[in-house]
Amino acid sequence: MVAVKAQNIVKRFGEVTVLRGVELDIPDGAFAVLVGPSGCGKSTLLRLLAGLEQVSEGKILFGEREVTQLEPRDRDIAMVFQSYALYPHMSVRRNLEFGLRLRKTDAATMNQRVGEVAKMLDIAHLLERLPKDLSGGQRQRVAMGRAIVRRPALFLFDEPLSNLDPALRTQVRVDIRKQHDELGATSVYVTHDQVEAMTLADVLYVLEGGEVQQRGRPIDIYDEPRNCFVAGFLGSPAMNLLRAPLTRAGELWRAGEVAVRDAGHFSKLRPDAEVILGLRPHDLRACAEAEADLHLEVEVVETLGPELTVHGVLRGDAQRQPFIAALPAKLAVQKGERVPLRVERLHLFDAATEQSLR
Amino acid sequence: MRAALHRRWAKLAFALAFVLTALGPSLEARAEEPVVLWHAYRGAEEEALEAILAAWGGPVEVLAVPYDAFSTKLESTVPLGEGPDLFIDAHERLGNFRERGIVAPISAELLARSGGAEAYNLGALEAVRFEGEAYGLPLSQKCIALYYNPALVAEPPASLEAIAALGDAPDWPEGVYPLAYEARGAYAHAALLAAFGGALHDPVADDYAFEGEAAERSLDYVLGLIDAGVIPEDADGALVTNLFKAGKAATVFSGPWLAADLEGVEYAVAPLPVVEATGEPMRPLLTVEAIMLSPHGAEKQAARELLAHIAGPAGARIRAETARSLSARTDVPPSDDPLLQAFATQAAQSTPMASTAAMRAVWEPANRAIRKVLRRDLEPKPALEEARRRFDDVRRPPPPPANPAPVVVLLGMLSLLGAGALVHRARKLGGASGTLDALRRSLPAYAYIALGVVAVTVLVILPIFFGAGAALFAGKPHEMYYVGLANFVAILTARGAPLLSTGSFYVVLAVTVLWTVVNVFFHLAIGVALGLVLSRPTMRLRGLYRVLLIVPWAVPSYVTALAWRGMFHRQFGAVTGLIHAINDLFGFSLEPIAWFSRFSTAFTANVATNVWLGFPFMMVVTLGALAAVPKDVLEAAEVDGASRWQRLTQITLPMIAPTMIPAVTLGAIWTFNMFNVVFLVSGGDPDGSTDILVSEAYRWAFTRDAQYGYAAAYAVLIFLLLFATSRITDRFMTGSKEDRA
Amino acid sequence: MTASQRELLESIAAHAVILAAVAFSLYPILWVVSLAFSGSTSLEAQVMPVPTDPTLDNIREVVGSTRTEVDGSQIWLFGRQLLNSIVVSIATAVVGVAIAIPTAYAFARFEFIGKRGGMRLLLATQMFPAVASAVPLFMILETLELLNTRTGLVLCYASTSIPFAVFQLRSAFEAIPTDLEEAAMVDGATRFQAFLRVVLPVARPAIAVTFLFAFMTAYNEFILAATLLNDERAFTLPVVLQRFIGEYDARWDLFAAGAIVVSLPVMLLFYQVQRHMVAGLGAGGVKG
Ligand SMILES: Nc1ncnc2c1ncn2[C@@H]1O[C@H](COP(=O)(O)OP(=O)(O)OP(=O)(O)O)[C@@H](O)[C@H]1O
Ligand SMILES: [Mg+2]
Repeated sequence: MVAVKAQNIVKRFGEVTVLRGVELDIPDGAFAVLVGPSGCGKSTLLRLLAGLEQVSEGKILFGEREVTQLEPRDRDIAMVFQSYALYPHMSVRRNLEFGLRLRKTDAATMNQRVGEVAKMLDIAHLLERLPKDLSGGQRQRVAMGRAIVRRPALFLFDEPLSNLDPALRTQVRVDIRKQHDELGATSVYVTHDQVEAMTLADVLYVLEGGEVQQRGRPIDIYDEPRNCFVAGFLGSPAMNLLRAPLTRAGELWRAGEVAVRDAGHFSKLRPDAEVILGLRPHDLRACAEAEADLHLEVEVVETLGPELTVHGVLRGDAQRQPFIAALPAKLAVQKGERVPLRVERLHLFDAATEQSLR
Repeated sequence: MRAALHRRWAKLAFALAFVLTALGPSLEARAEEPVVLWHAYRGAEEEALEAILAAWGGPVEVLAVPYDAFSTKLESTVPLGEGPDLFIDAHERLGNFRERGIVAPISAELLARSGGAEAYNLGALEAVRFEGEAYGLPLSQKCIALYYNPALVAEPPASLEAIAALGDAPDWPEGVYPLAYEARGAYAHAALLAAFGGALHDPVADDYAFEGEAAERSLDYVLGLIDAGVIPEDADGALVTNLFKAGKAATVFSGPWLAADLEGVEYAVAPLPVVEATGEPMRPLLTVEAIMLSPHGAEKQAARELLAHIAGPAGARIRAETARSLSARTDVPPSDDPLLQAFATQAAQSTPMASTAAMRAVWEPANRAIRKVLRRDLEPKPALEEARRRFDDVRRPPPPPANPAPVVVLLGMLSLLGAGALVHRARKLGGASGTLDALRRSLPAYAYIALGVVAVTVLVILPIFFGAGAALFAGKPHEMYYVGLANFVAILTARGAPLLSTGSFYVVLAVTVLWTVVNVFFHLAIGVALGLVLSRPTMRLRGLYRVLLIVPWAVPSYVTALAWRGMFHRQFGAVTGLIHAINDLFGFSLEPIAWFSRFSTAFTANVATNVWLGFPFMMVVTLGALAAVPKDVLEAAEVDGASRWQRLTQITLPMIAPTMIPAVTLGAIWTFNMFNVVFLVSGGDPDGSTDILVSEAYRWAFTRDAQYGYAAAYAVLIFLLLFATSRITDRFMTGSKEDRA
Repeated sequence: MTASQRELLESIAAHAVILAAVAFSLYPILWVVSLAFSGSTSLEAQVMPVPTDPTLDNIREVVGSTRTEVDGSQIWLFGRQLLNSIVVSIATAVVGVAIAIPTAYAFARFEFIGKRGGMRLLLATQMFPAVASAVPLFMILETLELLNTRTGLVLCYASTSIPFAVFQLRSAFEAIPTDLEEAAMVDGATRFQAFLRVVLPVARPAIAVTFLFAFMTAYNEFILAATLLNDERAFTLPVVLQRFIGEYDARWDLFAAGAIVVSLPVMLLFYQVQRHMVAGLGAGGVKG
């Protein structure tokens, strides 16, 4: 219910600069995800939005309102912590009521809201328990409930699922998205899990080194990563990144052995430059020898049900860089085989700047 | 929610109200100001005093101060205008009181009112006189005489040798000493010493006199008595009383105070015997108990009147009748009480004790010398020489005033340095604006700590600052003057004595370090061992055991310290009982140990007490640390084939070490400064050899002439030692941590 | 030897060790108890701590002490002294903990200029022997006209209880996840409300333990009390007890009886709070 804008956010802890000029622009009601490797400054950025830390430079706007200097409680936000941060000395009910009490909500409203939320999250039967008597999943839901019950304009989540087991994680992930759609408030969600990032986000921010590497819809970022880091970070198994010389023979560009068929898409190709060739495992297709761009010498085969993850090295790769291809299970690839592969789609990056050549 | 909030405020208000009542004026403000009187009487003497006061009309506030604490309390209150208007004490402390302005002279008018000078025994009045002025009115005279048990000796033996020979009689009962007295104390020994022509103190030169041939011969003589089994070697006052009451001593030397304890016991009193070896009679020291006026008491009409009343003839009669005390007045007819008659005879045959500061300083060295000789640690001659040195040590002239200029310069330089450091800090924070910014961000924190800072500054830092500052001064508390580092120099050079003589800083430091190491070792060993055993997964009754094992922690430590002192009592202590039981059980013949007469045993007794006090803390810390050791690590080690011992030494102990180290540090600091145990259990016995640095500092501050600056210098040294040690271990520990990383 | 036999043996050994330790820790207590209830103090050394001629006389004599006031009224002296001890100890603990709580919180949570220096200084003060700062403290109280009052005593004791409580509570607060306060602040609390309503309740066990320790130091202290108090009615119990065993006249039976009466309240309190001790004991409190 509020748009979030951050302008040129810089955050320093003493001598170290953790965020260097971050820009956010999250539309009203959107679900924004901040993703990035550990230590890249995601939590810090979220805490700046919450008002738990002060920016060193820059401005934060919620809608038209500048909140940069406001206390957390004046920002109309709710936050779900990775540790859930349930108040251990209060029952679940009191936990849920805490924020409402501070706002001097009357008892009837409070009861009604807690009831609604408890029902929605299926924690009605837990209301009188203490947090220590709850399971991990239940705690997570209470933490969610505590945020929801306040009906804030903005939800902040800091890796709320990382303490749950994988099966539960998928389910809760779906629940979170559903609740978001129901409540319609803006959400900012921090994770380092790319599946969460891809599935939840309306707007995805990939962070690294205290800077936003790319912003956009998840699928756009997946399809057109702006640099090597983003390319390698999103997608599972990760994109194969190989150094190769770029050559041109007439109209045909080649990165190493691989023909660049859609060279028209790349605006910055220069002959004889060193490039990084990016090949997603899923963009490779087993093919007949004649069509092959590459040959994979298989070392390990992992079976994931419908598909195989095939690890090996490329024929002719003197450096023997590990290479992965995702192939249909029915192929029944064996260790030691040499599989001819055709490249459906490829990414090219400048070897020096690691920026996309598009 | 409102209700809850109200409840909370109500609780807070209650707590505040409680604090306020606690702090509010509690005992002050009374309509008619009573006269405040302090005494150290007990039993019949206290009753007599009460009777005398009852006969007086006005309001009196009486406080019975423990004898041991009497002069300390006077010294700490009267100079500040606090404390009593009147107090009753032995005359021997008068010299000291006078130096400190604790006592005011008795005006001629007041003396006249109580009957004039001729109403008092000349000797008694002389004892309270200084430069022609009386500083108190004598109430009673005390000295020791010979008590004998008529059932064992019909007539008072004429000579000491005759007493000694009693035991040779064929029908002499088993286990009965012919004589018992506090042979280890200089007070009783002084009587014997007089028979050899010696004295503790030379009144003319006002100097120590317990030395030379007479002194050595007297000590040899006592050794002879002990060897012959005539007297028990280590009798204290309580034992003398008990032996005589139980019929286990035929005669004792003791004062009138013994009579109060002898109800229902048959006894008679006679003057002290002659020593045949010299042909001279024993001459005891005479103490005159006097009532004295404090300077502020002297201003009070009521106080002066009460003084005259208590010292007057009516009071003397009540004291003679109720407490059987020997009056110092000539206008009270001689009593027909045989006890009083015997003491009167003896008093005429006595030497009034000097009341100068030098006399006061004689006791500690003299007592120690006698004990050392009787314990046969030293021959009389060297022991007495050592005592002389100790005396000179305490009586050494205070250091000369020094020029404070160097310190002022130093302080100036230090503050410059401090300012420099601040500027440097500010520059690092990014100049003036950065500093301001940092300060602005610190403001909320300052709001939280403000109260704590004020409280700590006033209650902790200031006293320490002044306490440490006093190390540069010497003199009496209210007239201290600057002496520079003289106190430190004196301490670190052992005041000119050999550096390793008893009582020197280095020896005490060594004892302190040994004390700390031994205690911390046992605390840790026992605490960790019990923690490990208790946290065995299959241990039953764990909760109960834990509760029982932390009992020592729950009991007030002074109670335990005193209880342990009692348990180590040679006569009726439980430890002695244990030795008896072992003897009975196994037919051994172990001797009960006089625990506090040798360093090793006294130290052991202290350590036993302190170990008992301290192991529960380590045990609880260990249990906490063990609870945090994940089980899977141990299981992993077990799977890896580690034996139990290996698991203990290579997994468990290293894993609990980080938690234990701070606790050990804390424990070491506590032990290093563990005043209570040393002070209450061994009291430094024997000869201050078990004293640690803090108790030594305490002695200099509160006994030994209140050399407060000197004590402060000790405290500063203790602080520096601890501080340096902690910095070094800190360095060492962070260093090794970095190595590991 | 089978594993179960071995286990049995070990278990027996473990119990033996513990029982020996229990005997060691209880013996002095029993000794005092037996002395307190003995009618006759025998000269003989006793091993078994059982009272001879059991009686309550000693207890009665100690507890029943009275005093006649100037105006002729009788007051129950022991009751007065017990009250002194309790009031002084509770006030010390309340003052110490109340002052230490915000201070310790700031040291645990805020960054501010002087934080490290302050902590170091506070730690250093613990190394200075109290003997030497007692006299200046005495003089400060004198100028405040607080000698011989409970207030004076409370201030003296607070001088040791505050630094100690700051150390204890600082490590307790540090152990509480910051998330909790942050959650409260996001929920709409001010920093101070978060502190009051979240941190304090969560730190309750540690506060209870700290309170206990502060109480115990005050309740058990006797040297300062013996020097500062000059009025029988202002005495605290340790001073009363100490008077039973003078150098020349030791009444061990009365001392023992008094010791029991004095120790009971503090032991009860101790056992109320000790459950929290493993968790609340901030042995890490000494790290500078
Ligand atoms: N209070 C602080 N003081 C100093 N450095 C800090 C502080 N908080 C965070 N940092 C540093 O800032 C960087 C970013 O931290 P942040 O917690 O934002 O990472 P993150 O992206 O959330 O990582 P993760 O995925 O592991 O949670 C880290 O290098 C961290 O060490
Ligand atoms: Mg994070």
